[in-house]
Formats: sequence, C-alpha cells, structure tokens
Amino acid sequence: MKQRRLKIIAASAILLTAMVVLVVAGIKKTSVQYFTPADLVANADTIHRKKVQVDGVVLEGSSHWDAANFKLTFAVRNRDIEEAGKTTVNVIFADRLKPDNFMDGGSVFVEGRYDADRNLVIATKVMTKCASKYEGADNTVTESDTSYLK
Amino acid sequence: MTAELGQAAIWLSILSALWAIVFLCIGLRQRNRNAVQSGRNAVIATFVLISIATGALIFGFVTDDFSMRYVVEVSSEAQPLLYKITALWGRMSGSLLFWLWLLTVAGAVVVLQNRRASDTLSDYALIPITVVQLFFIVLVTGLIEGVYNPLARFPGGQAAPDGSGMNPLLQTPSMAFHPPTLYIGWISLTVPFAYAVGALASGRIGTDWIYRSRRWMLFSWIVLTIGITLGGNWAYRELGWGGYWAWDPVENASFMPWLLGTAYLHSVMIQEKRSMFKLWNILLITLAFQFTLLGTFITRSGIITSVHAFAQSDIGGYFLSFILASTGGVIVLIVYRWKRLKSANRLESLLSRESAFVLNNWLLVGLTLIILWGTLWPIVSEAINGQKSSVPETFFNKVVIIPGLLLLFLTGAGPIISWKKITPNNFRRMFLWPLLVGLIAGAATWLFFAVRAHSTATEAAAVNLFTQVWKFLTFSAQPMPIYSVLCVLVGVFVFVAIFSEFYRGAKLRAKRQETNFFEGLGLLIQRNKRRYGGYIIHLGIVIVYLGIMGSKGYFLLESESLKLGESMQVGDYQLTMKDTFQEERENYLRAGVVFDVHKDGEPHGTMEPARHFYYKAGQGEQDTIESAIRHFGVNDLYIALGPLPSNIGADTNVNVQAYHNPLIGIVWIGVAVMVIGGIVAIAEKYEPKPRSQIGG
Repeated sequence: MKQRRLKIIAASAILLTAMVVLVVAGIKKTSVQYFTPADLVANADTIHRKKVQVDGVVLEGSSHWDAANFKLTFAVRNRDIEEAGKTTVNVIFADRLKPDNFMDGGSVFVEGRYDADRNLVIATKVMTKCASKYEGADNTVTESDTSYLK
Repeated sequence: MTAELGQAAIWLSILSALWAIVFLCIGLRQRNRNAVQSGRNAVIATFVLISIATGALIFGFVTDDFSMRYVVEVSSEAQPLLYKITALWGRMSGSLLFWLWLLTVAGAVVVLQNRRASDTLSDYALIPITVVQLFFIVLVTGLIEGVYNPLARFPGGQAAPDGSGMNPLLQTPSMAFHPPTLYIGWISLTVPFAYAVGALASGRIGTDWIYRSRRWMLFSWIVLTIGITLGGNWAYRELGWGGYWAWDPVENASFMPWLLGTAYLHSVMIQEKRSMFKLWNILLITLAFQFTLLGTFITRSGIITSVHAFAQSDIGGYFLSFILASTGGVIVLIVYRWKRLKSANRLESLLSRESAFVLNNWLLVGLTLIILWGTLWPIVSEAINGQKSSVPETFFNKVVIIPGLLLLFLTGAGPIISWKKITPNNFRRMFLWPLLVGLIAGAATWLFFAVRAHSTATEAAAVNLFTQVWKFLTFSAQPMPIYSVLCVLVGVFVFVAIFSEFYRGAKLRAKRQETNFFEGLGLLIQRNKRRYGGYIIHLGIVIVYLGIMGSKGYFLLESESLKLGESMQVGDYQLTMKDTFQEERENYLRAGVVFDVHKDGEPHGTMEPARHFYYKAGQGEQDTIESAIRHFGVNDLYIALGPLPSNIGADTNVNVQAYHNPLIGIVWIGVAVMVIGGIVAIAEKYEPKPRSQIGG
C-alpha cells in the first residue's frame, strides 16, 4: 500500500515538474518585452537588436503604404501625449497586407526587432485594435455626452 | 413606453430573485413545501420579467427607436433585420442582459424539469443559480459606473436621427451565431456548478448530483465545442490572415472552460464507477464555472492588451469580487462537509483505467493552467521584475504539443485499458494491433516526409550508401517533422483502437441477437449511447488533431503586388488577375478582383476576393477584407486582398496574399464528428437509481 502510494506521488511529481519546466523554458525562450515608445527610446542601448513589442498610437500623418513594394511605414507615439512628450518610434512592416482598421491616430500593437541606431522596429506583426464586438468602450461616452444627437 | 416597461421589469426582478433565495432557504431549512414552491415560482417570475426586458430591447431595435442609447450605438436604420436582432449582444450592456436572460432560462428549465419531484437537491441548486442571476441583474440596472442600463433613453427626451451601426465585421452569419452559442455554453455550466453547491449544502454528496448535472454538462460541452469552432471559422473567413486560432486572450478565455469541462466529464465517470474523486469533481466544476467569469474579467478589466481591445471598465473589478466571493463560499462548504468527501476506494495501479482518467485530468487541468499562465504573463512578469512582457502565439503552440500528444494517446488507450490493473492478456488483446498499425503509419509518414525533403534538397553528394540512407532518413540539414510523425502514429493508434472496440462489440451483439453486423452496431450504440457517443467524440478529436497538424504545420503563404493580367504562384496553384469589379449591396459596396485559378496547368474556374466598404460603421467609412476560399478536397486555397480604393480600376496595384492550407477541411469535419458523438451521448437518459456504491 505504502509503496503504491509512493509510486503515485512520484509519478505526479514527475508530471508536475515536467509541466513546470515546459512552461518556464517556453516563456524564457519566447517571451517578448513590452514597451511604450518612450520606454523603448529611453532604454535603447540595452534592447538594441532585441525582440520587442510596442504598444501605442499611429502618429497622425506618419503612415505611408507603398502598394507597389508591399511596404508599410509609420511612427508610433505614446497613447498619452502629455506624459510622454513627443517621443516616437519608427516602424517598417514589409511583405504583408496592411492590416484592417489601420489608420493614423488608431491604436496599434507592433512586434518585431528593434534597431536602436535607426530607432526603427522591423515588424513581424502589426495588430490594430481588433474589430471586436466590444470595440469602442461603452464608457467612453458618459451619460451626459449627447454628441450622437446632431 | 416599452423601454420603460423593460426597465421596470429589471428593477422588479431584483425583488423576485431575492424572494426566490429567501423562500428556498427557509423552505429547505424548515422542510416547508409551500415556501419551496413559492421560491420555485419566483425563479419562473424572474425569467418572465427578464424576458420582458429583453423583448423590450429587441422591440427597440426592430422599430428603430433611436431615443434609446444602446440602439443608437449598435444599430442603424439600414441594418438588415437579422443584424438588428443580433445587435442585442453587440456591446457590453446588451450582452450582459442577454447573458442574464439565458441564466433565467436555465433557472426556469431546472424548475420545470423537477416540478413534480419533491427533489430537494434541485431546489438547493436553484439558490446558487439565483445568486448568479442577482449579480447580473445588478450589473444591468445601470447602478454601476461604466455600465449603463441597455434600456436607458437619452436624457431630456432627445433622439438621434439614425444609429451608428454595428461593426461591419460582425455583420456575418457566423458572427450572428458565435457569441450566443458561447454564452449558452458558458451559462449552462452554471447549472452543474449549482448542483455541486447544492450537494455540498444538502450534504448529499453521492452520485445523485452528478446524475442530475451531467447532462447539463454534456450539453454545455457540445455547445461550447460548436461556439469555439464558429469563432475560429469566423476568424478564418473574415479576418483575412488565413488562420483560425491565434491564442488571443479572448480565445483562451473560451477554451479554458472547455478544457475543464472535458476533464469533469471524464472524472465523474470515476466517481460513478469507483466512488472516488468526490472532492476533485466539486473542485473541477467550481473551477470550470469560475473560468467562465474569469474570461469576462480578463477581457473586460483591461489588464491584458488583447487584439480584441475590449472596453476597459470597472466591471472587471465586480467580476473579480464575485469570483473570489463565490469561490470562498464553496471552500467554506467543502470544509463543512470535509468528512463526507473522502474516497471510498484508492488507485490500485499506475497502469489502469483509473490512472488513465487521472492522467487525463492532470493533463487537461495542466493545459488550462499553462494557457492561463501564458495569458496572464503580462501581469505576472510585471509583478515579478517590473518589466511588462508577453508571450506570442509560438509559446502556446510549442508548450501545448507534448501534453496534447499525450492526451491524444489517452483518447485511444483510456477506452481499451482494463480497470484496476492492466494484465498481459489485456495488453495483447487490446493494444498490440493498434500499436503495430500506428507504428507502421508513423514510419510511412516519416518516409513520406523524407522523400519530400530529399526531392527538394539541392545537394546530393553522398559518400557511401550508409551515409546516404542516414542523410535521407534524418532529412540532412532540414528540421525533422518529429511531431507530425508522432501525431500520425498516435492518431492511427487511436483510430484502430476505437474502431476495434466498435467492431468487437458489434460482432458480439450481432451474434447474440442473431442478426447482421450493422444491426449489431446499431444495437450496440443504442444500448450504450453514452459510452459509444464518447468513442465517436474521440474519433472526432483524432481528425481535428490531424487537421491542425496539416493546416498549422504546413501552410504556404505568398504575398505579391499585382496589376491586371499579372499572375502569381502559391504551391501548385497559379493565380492570374483577370478582372476587377464593383457591386452595390444593401448597406455596403463590394469591390474586388477576379482571379483565374490553375492547378498544375489545369484550369479550376475563378475566385473573387473582395473588400466591403460600409457606409455606416461607427466613425465614418470602414472597409473589411472578404477573402475568397476555394476547397480542393480538404485543402483550401485562400486569397485575401490588401487595401484598395473603392473605385478599383484596371491600373490599380492590388496587394494579394494567397495561402495554401492543407487539411484544414478536416478540422471542421472532426468537430462535426465530435458534435455528433456528443449528441449520441446526451441522448442517454439517466435515471438516478439506488446503488450499493453510492456513498455520502
């Protein structure tokens, strides 16, 4: 009886350890640090050539879609202009379709490698605010806001 | 007037819900049938009141009542009638009301199912259901900041001239059905949870609550399976990135309760057969239920940046509080009933069906925790080292493979391994052939990939035969498709194992009833719907695995910028841009391209990917990708177009992204098989009968 219990406990322990190792290794290998444009520029030296994620807003008037060469270029600024000054990061996104809903002033989430010398993210993924059913916060409009009523 | 009526109904439903809770508690405590009956009636009353409120909102949509704020936000005059109605769950306030309505339906069904029985367990279960209802009622009253009452009108009797319309991406049939399906699946999970709480509260922790709740659980599982698949299918057809699953937090939120529900469906069998795992089952169903709320918390609180970009609001905090409070309640009840939760039996061997079930549960719960950890990693990492980071899709894809393959193995091994302890005889009779055939299939897959890799390899300068063979089998420098080989090996093992179960059973039946094999098969399934329905689900799982392997592992993607008359190549397919077109539709303009499709030089008709330009879509004009998909057997050719001017012409540069997705068709087929199996299994009626094994 005791031996059987021991076996079962040992098997569970092995399984648990394996899973933890799997997750820790997976996270170590794949996790990507996450920055706002201002943070990215502030830490430029340490993250040169590293994979990063940048969360921000497409700088108004900065985006350019080169349809003939399949290349999207734009700059990302912090969501909150006041707090972050005017720091921006340039992004190049090539050989992929321009994402749906991509527009100047829109929310954007960029993943790619950061080149500190050119302050440029070579993006592998650009996500816009997804067209979720919940898009547009319910609470962005307060009860007294009657802008709908033109 | 109807909106005011609906609002009044919501406020009244607070009273009816409180009434139900109070009278059920008193009635059950004092064994007063009249009080219990009054409580049951109050549950029905809540259902009627919330139906009135929901009906009032739908009435507002149908009559284009633009004095109602919610109607203005999600509907417009030009919106087709179907999407005016589906606008009900178009945003948060409405979807909360819809969720609440479904909960009241569940409550009413529980009452009606047991209206004749003096079954106290169901009456106990009504209390937690009503408590959850009350939580949602409070949310939709508009008392809480950040969530307004969906029936509220603009102040001062104002009205908008027209609504701003629902997001165009949601105006497709699968988006009309995907959210409600998921909601129904989530909400029906409340009922088994409520039975678990009822069992704890009443002290009847035997198999009774499982008999009463497992059909609900199976129902919920089937509906969740459909709902999750509809979501994947919608993403595949509408979002234009050629895939169907990306481990987005919202997708994970729908997947985790499914995994836990699957674990529960398996572990209850152990409680029935061997009277073990009573505590585990209660924990599992509690966890599954909490994960349906946790999903809402994750996606609502704004703590995770999701591509779904949900509205950030305070509502996340309320969900978290409710999760913590209700979990605390369950823990108190568990401590209170601690003595009755002990197992009557123990595991006897590591190699037995019981152990297979345990391993299954371990893996399913483990997978859930892995996915949860990955989903919450942005918060966890920030808490650990102050630096926010997140894990991409590849993390999930990598980490789930090994537990996933082990689970796949169990779908075949579980049903054929003997109870208590495996014997050499059991192994020889049940395992030998499936394993052999699986190994042969795995070897064949290995050779197939080796031949393919070899034919594309550029250098073939080998020294001797041995190194040549070695190089051939190890793919020279190319990555070995080890997981694909394993997937086929294990998949075929499961197929053979399950098929021989059917074959053996059917032959035996046929012999006993002196009839032919197929009638025997029919009888076999009919007499044991739950078991063989389960096996059909297992077959569906294998098919889904193979489909995922093909479509996730071996898709091709080509992007090019084309003008009229130019062509591109993806895999064996050649696409030539033949024409452009523009069409006016009900509330959008459709503009796109006609492609001539050739496969290996043979013509295969045309494909017409497009973009839809919606006139009314929240803020200004919005356009969406309408990809074109052509099925070649179970493989898909998939074309999506980049941004276009709506006045597309002959000299427009069109950005084309073309995918070849092998085996994607069998993902949907496999899910269909799973659903069929689920329907077979749910058809079995469970009569709670007294058993010697019932404990507690």
